[in-house]
Amino acid sequence: MRIARSAISEVVGLFVADWVQSVVIVAILAAGWFAVNRLGAAALAGLVLLLAGQMVWFARAEARRAAR
Amino acid sequence: MYQQFFVFGAAFLGSAVESTEALTIVLAVGLTRGWRAPLLGTVAALVALAVLVVFFGQLIVSRVPESSLKLLVGTLLLLFGLRWLHKAVLRSAGVVQKHDEERAYRQTVTELGAATERQDWVGFVLALKGVFLEGLEVVFIVIAVGGTGHGLAVAVAGGLLAMVVVAGAGVAVRRPLARVPENTLKYAVGVILTSLGTFWAAEGMGAAWPADFVSILVLIAVYFVASRLAVSLVRRPQPA
Repeated sequence: MRIARSAISEVVGLFVADWVQSVVIVAILAAGWFAVNRLGAAALAGLVLLLAGQMVWFARAEARRAAR
Repeated sequence: MYQQFFVFGAAFLGSAVESTEALTIVLAVGLTRGWRAPLLGTVAALVALAVLVVFFGQLIVSRVPESSLKLLVGTLLLLFGLRWLHKAVLRSAGVVQKHDEERAYRQTVTELGAATERQDWVGFVLALKGVFLEGLEVVFIVIAVGGTGHGLAVAVAGGLLAMVVVAGAGVAVRRPLARVPENTLKYAVGVILTSLGTFWAAEGMGAAWPADFVSILVLIAVYFVASRLAVSLVRRPQPA
């Protein structure tokens, strides 16, 4: 049981370091899916900018946390 | 052609980073406790990783419909790539310490004593665990970029070539490869995987990128600029 739990946490750890950030990324993708189906390729620019923006935001947030 | 280039590059660079880290563990165990057990552990881990690549690679290529595959793998690649990129940004800005192979090596050696038994299980398990865990990330990169980009063989070749190069360098110098620019490589792989993930996730949603694969270059440029912006916003003075 302990081995299975540790294996699962290793695999999840490959994709998730910060749960809040991961939820935000998935939410951006879900919104992107909706926008792409309604607006077509024009929505791609917004999707990419949101993904890049969240990266900057979460890096700043972690740096602030580390500074405290 | 472009796609195969990115697939090979991502698999090669990702494998080079993880192989360097795995090599440090194997060297630390081998030079401290003898070579037999850690080499057996390494071989066992490589066999297990190869089984994962063959099993999941074939499963993904033959069973999953292309649009679902792109959406799922694109999302996972995006999460995986952004995690690497996030760490690389924080390391470049001095918020998190850079990975140092010399330090990792010394730490592992300190934790180990000399082998006292003929069958050294500690050495075997440490090498097996180290190589398997570092290799798991390579397996994901190879399957994800190779399976989705119709280039599993190219991705496997990239991953294997990097492993052979790193292992060859390790045998030649017999010490941790501290001069491999791991953080820079991880930064580059993070940008490439994030870009490929975005590209495929959007294709899986039904979008068609302008200029098709050339868009990946634009994505790489956007994520690189954003990451440099993040580094400059959070940069800390480096200790003297």
